Amino acid sequence: MKRRLLRVAVVLACVALMAVSLRGHQDQPAPAKVVHVVAERFSFTPSEISIDAETRVELRISSEDTTHGFRLIGPGAINVEIPRRGRGEARVVVQIAEPGDYVFECSKLCGAGHGFMRGKLRVRAKAATP
Amino acid sequence: MSACLAVVPAGRAPAPLPVSVTGPTLAQAATPAPSSAPQSGPVSGYMDFHVNQPTGATPGVIDFHRFVLLFYHRFSDRLRFVGELELEHAIVEGLEEGGELALEKAYIDYLLRSEINFRAGMILVPVGIINERHEPPVFHGVERPFVDTVIIPTTWFEAGAGIHGSAGRGFRYRIYAMAPLDATAFTAGEGLRDGAQHGSEAVVRNVAVTGRLEYVAVRGLQLGVSFWRGNTGFNVPTIHTTVGLYEFDARFTRGRLETRAQHARVFIGGAADLNAAITRNTGVNPNVAEQLQGTYLEAAYRILPSRFPHDAALFARYENFDTQFRMPAGYVKLPQFDRDAWVLGATYWLDPDVAIKFDYSHVRNKSTAVPAPRSINVGLGWWF
Repeated sequence: MKRRLLRVAVVLACVALMAVSLRGHQDQPAPAKVVHVVAERFSFTPSEISIDAETRVELRISSEDTTHGFRLIGPGAINVEIPRRGRGEARVVVQIAEPGDYVFECSKLCGAGHGFMRGKLRVRAKAATP
Repeated sequence: MSACLAVVPAGRAPAPLPVSVTGPTLAQAATPAPSSAPQSGPVSGYMDFHVNQPTGATPGVIDFHRFVLLFYHRFSDRLRFVGELELEHAIVEGLEEGGELALEKAYIDYLLRSEINFRAGMILVPVGIINERHEPPVFHGVERPFVDTVIIPTTWFEAGAGIHGSAGRGFRYRIYAMAPLDATAFTAGEGLRDGAQHGSEAVVRNVAVTGRLEYVAVRGLQLGVSFWRGNTGFNVPTIHTTVGLYEFDARFTRGRLETRAQHARVFIGGAADLNAAITRNTGVNPNVAEQLQGTYLEAAYRILPSRFPHDAALFARYENFDTQFRMPAGYVKLPQFDRDAWVLGATYWLDPDVAIKFDYSHVRNKSTAVPAPRSINVGLGWWF
């Protein structure tokens, strides 16, 4: 009897943990904007992306050929692998407070022109509300 | 700044982001946080080997053509090293022709800002589609296009330094100063090919300038123009020879259709004096032209449905190339060097980085005496 109660308690605890975990994801606000980016030897298209400061923007990055990387240079820890062609896409949600130009680049050596594979994320100041 | 990272496999409904990383705000952070995703490994590379079976009685050959290792090191966000070591034809033995071990690339990049960055070392000449983009899975055909062999001498690399960066609105550029070509090594049939000094104790009495401007703003479309210009007569100081190479190219992909086109023309100044000087010195007239020209058009269509784990494409390429397009006064144009070619075949990707290639190459020339080669080719190329 005790064993059965223990099993039930463990199962309930797991269910509760899963519910809390899912709730956590659902609490994330949806991005205000989605930008599709294509990575290909040796460029990102678009290579210049403009977003508004403090706005959640999701970058959906797919590859037309090999595995690439997406790394946003500067403070933070954004560095994600972009799967090879037909193997899915990488998603990066950014919300940047400070206006300015931020360079992003391929972080996975992808061939002779790897060093040219860079782009710019331009964060515009949010227009002041009257 | 807050950031969420996720990788979503193909063919599945978008799921809630499974990984969430929250970084410090940009204003607060003093140093970059360590990167969580894998950096590029210290070594990458590509290889290709193939079987070339000429039609007729000529025996076929099997050749492990290229074994290439690339090295990458990031000293900091601003300072990087990239190197590429290539072994061609599997073996190199002293004083024997055949194999070649070459340092094709070894440069330091100093990244100042997106508009201007500095590069120095052994650099690929930024001319044409293939010279900087020659990993086997990304081009159709077992061999590289003829235009990228006898008009643009790929793989063309040289010691030099220069700048590169973004010019805004989807334009990007690179401009380098490099060691010049050696005009005394030019030939009638393969043009500039043997003239590159490859940064091996290269003579720099004159410095060549090369550059490329690309437009990459529109998805699926890539346009490029490039040039190379320099004095090339340092081995025969009594004459003045120059080379100007001008090229433009386009690649366009829409859905399953892939197309590309390239045109290049080479101008050799002082070709008559060059021919006369070499004839005096060696007793052999090299019959170098004053203009070379080449063009190709290629179309490919991916035929397998996207749900299939592999991929396959059929392709056709037409090339027209002439290494004696214009001859200097007093020199005769040889018709065997006025050539065109059809290359028809297929590429089958076991993986996006592993390609099996098959093609039939039919070269024609204007000569009634010198036959042009035809061959069936099978190759395997991969990138890792």
